Amino acid sequence: MDQFTQTAWLIPLFPFAAFLLLTALGRSYRRAGVLIGSIGSLAALVMSLLVFFERLDPDAVDYSDGFKWIDLGVYVLRIGFEVTNLNALMLVIVTAVSFLVNVYSAGYMKKDERITVFYGYVALFTFAMLGLVLSDNMLVFYIFWELVGVCSFLLVGFWYAKPAARAAAKKAFIVTRIGDAGLLLGVIVLFWYMPGHALDFSSIHNVFSEGQTGAITMSITTSIALLLFMGVIGKSGQFPLHVWLPDAMEGPTPISALIHAATMVAAGVFLLARTFDIFEASAAAMHTVAYLGGFTAIFAATVALAQNDIKRILAYSTISQLGYMVMAMGLGSMTGGIFHLFTHAFFKALLFLAAGSIIHAVHTQNIQEMGGLGSKMRITTWTFAIGALSLSGIPPFSGFWSKDLILAFALDENPFLFVIGLVAAFCTALYMSRLFFIVFMGKSRLQQQAQVRESSKVMTIPLIVLAVLSVGAGFVETPWNGWLGGWLTGGGEEVHASAAAIVASIAVGVLGIYVGWLMFGKGSIERGAAAARMPWLANLLERQYYMNEFYNLMIVKPVRGLGKGLYAFDEYVIGGAVRLIGFTSVAGGRVLTRMNNGQAQVYGLTAVIGLLVIIAAIVGRRFW
Amino acid sequence: MLPSYLTMAAILFCIGLYGALVKRNAVIVLLSIELMLNAVNLNLVAFSKYGVVPSLTGQVFALFTITVAAAEAAVGVAVLIALFRARGTVNLDEFDEMRR
Amino acid sequence: MFNIDFNGEFATFFIFSAIMIIGAVLMVSLQKVVHMVISMAGVFLGLAGMFVLLDAEFVAFVQVLIYAGAVSILMIFGIMMTNHQAAKADPVKPLHETLAAVAALCLFGMLFYAIRTTDFPDAQPMKAVEDNTSSIGELLYTGYVVPFELLSVLLTVAFIGAIAIAKKGAD
Repeated sequence: MDQFTQTAWLIPLFPFAAFLLLTALGRSYRRAGVLIGSIGSLAALVMSLLVFFERLDPDAVDYSDGFKWIDLGVYVLRIGFEVTNLNALMLVIVTAVSFLVNVYSAGYMKKDERITVFYGYVALFTFAMLGLVLSDNMLVFYIFWELVGVCSFLLVGFWYAKPAARAAAKKAFIVTRIGDAGLLLGVIVLFWYMPGHALDFSSIHNVFSEGQTGAITMSITTSIALLLFMGVIGKSGQFPLHVWLPDAMEGPTPISALIHAATMVAAGVFLLARTFDIFEASAAAMHTVAYLGGFTAIFAATVALAQNDIKRILAYSTISQLGYMVMAMGLGSMTGGIFHLFTHAFFKALLFLAAGSIIHAVHTQNIQEMGGLGSKMRITTWTFAIGALSLSGIPPFSGFWSKDLILAFALDENPFLFVIGLVAAFCTALYMSRLFFIVFMGKSRLQQQAQVRESSKVMTIPLIVLAVLSVGAGFVETPWNGWLGGWLTGGGEEVHASAAAIVASIAVGVLGIYVGWLMFGKGSIERGAAAARMPWLANLLERQYYMNEFYNLMIVKPVRGLGKGLYAFDEYVIGGAVRLIGFTSVAGGRVLTRMNNGQAQVYGLTAVIGLLVIIAAIVGRRFW
Repeated sequence: MLPSYLTMAAILFCIGLYGALVKRNAVIVLLSIELMLNAVNLNLVAFSKYGVVPSLTGQVFALFTITVAAAEAAVGVAVLIALFRARGTVNLDEFDEMRR
Repeated sequence: MFNIDFNGEFATFFIFSAIMIIGAVLMVSLQKVVHMVISMAGVFLGLAGMFVLLDAEFVAFVQVLIYAGAVSILMIFGIMMTNHQAAKADPVKPLHETLAAVAALCLFGMLFYAIRTTDFPDAQPMKAVEDNTSSIGELLYTGYVVPFELLSVLLTVAFIGAIAIAKKGAD
């Protein structure tokens, strides 16, 4: 019955094989390259779906297998894969989005001369992400975690001829590295304190879930959880380390959809879910996670209100939604977090791909230069609208159900965070309606009018598929149907229905859209009114709370100064010593050159002096 | 008496060495080399009388040395004459062919 | 430190060595080349005297014949054939000369130290043989006949070579 589950390790190998083939092909065979990449991800998608349907069987048991990697005598490091319901769901999300992005890129990247390289990177990323999802222990998880980081670096800097892309790639890599260092420390501490130095997730579950058998003390648990959470902060763009994600939008738009919206940034949330038992064992860690997530949600949502770059708006929206997921995790609702991850993956990928379609058509990312696109790009408009409504939390779109689940949970657990969530939801609806009305409604403010055309089918079909998923994905868990939660956690089908939460959630969504429509659609509220009344606030939001400037001043400059100091030390002290040695050699060489003047007597004298030195050295030993 | 002879030979040798290293006229350099050879001869003959195993061998060797030195002097002067014909001088400062 | 009996041999040795050192020093310090050769002849003669002191009459005669006679005359001929114009005032090379002097002095110091510190065996000096010349002749034609013949070949070759070299440019 579970033959697909047992061969789940094959799933990452399809994209990996595609990556190897694409790398071997080089830049030629553009058509074949697209085909290979797409087929690789399609095969992975089919396999994942088969595994997923096997998991739907209520009797399915978790399966894991692997082999010894390094045997250190006392410790054994293993490489292995594990299939659980959570993993199977993630497999489907990753492969589905990856496949659709592959198809979409065939249109979007058509004219890029390095399209084969692009597909190779995407295939490598898909491999790494699937490996991350399937890994059965923290070490392998960490390896793939770094690998997706590398792919993110490569793809953000894909157009490396642009200085901004280079800078963004470096920033993405270095900023996430801070979090990754924490994660690595967490893994090491975990390795140290785990009984038997086991790192596999099932042992972690056993040790931490059953009411603390005393194997690991509370403070150690908290520090492990917080260290792991550092990795989440870095990878999922939570508050102090979120700065790389908006800049990462310098990469090609399909990449923003795949990596920086649907999958890689969700890896942090996935890590939270995988190690949920550790977090649950420490109340302090849970609170940290919940409040930081809530803060990130509202923080990023407000920033998104004032941005003008369409991809930046979506990036801040992603940060905000990731904050939602992290907050849900922190509140103890793993189902809520994963459910939101699931729906968000589809509607945010949809939004990014639709944005890509727009950028492809109008060749600008500034929403103030767009406008009136609704009539010219119908499919894009409709699908974008579905994504926007879903993000804004309007029923029956999927975003509503997942957001509602989180809010209902928050209302039970922590009313303060419930309010935060509501405000963030209002901001979300507001900035999405702003974006939608400015881009698609009103008069066109484009430079070249005639060229705007709907994108080709290869780009619109993925949009339609994602739109369907955005609508339908929400029905796996609704206030009257707790299937997903029961399936994920293995517990009963708990239903978190709360009329207050539903009403509030719909109300803020509709209100946000209405205000947005008044301001940007109908124009009955002066657009600049709020900004004119509080210019400092508008400025603050537009400059993203000056986070980049803050980091620049507090971290980059001092580190640069330190670097300059060290460079000066290297230049003048070490380099000076080296130059002194060089100078001595040169001077000695000059002297020797002058002595080497071809005169036999000088040579004879030199030989005599040498003889004396040798005699002195040999005979002189007697005296000391 | 042996140390006196040896010291005498050392003095001659060092004066010869100094002359060979310093004098510019090639003929004098040749002479200085002869002086050094003579110092060696003195040693040989002195050891032939006062050595651990006194014998005539030392004198025979001195004779051989004198023979070779004579040949050397003859060839040396011939070379100098040839050099002088070619370069118009026997001043050693002018010869720096080894530099090339 | 010179714990030497002041006897006849030493007196004679002292005179000869005085002659030789003066001659050698003059050789390196005189200005005119011919004077140098003549002082050198003095050194050669002094050395011949020393050989007599050492009971090596034949070697002494050879020394007088070959060095004081042949080599000195050869050198004078060499000077005459090369030194048409009197050597111009040579540029001084003080560093080179000082270094050479220091090196020679150091070498002498080392040798002198070695001679003074060595414990020479107190062997009996060789008794002077009846006829030094015939003994050497016997030795040469018995034990050293092969080196002797080789040397005569070497000498012949060297002289023919010398003539060839010196003659080549003359034509």
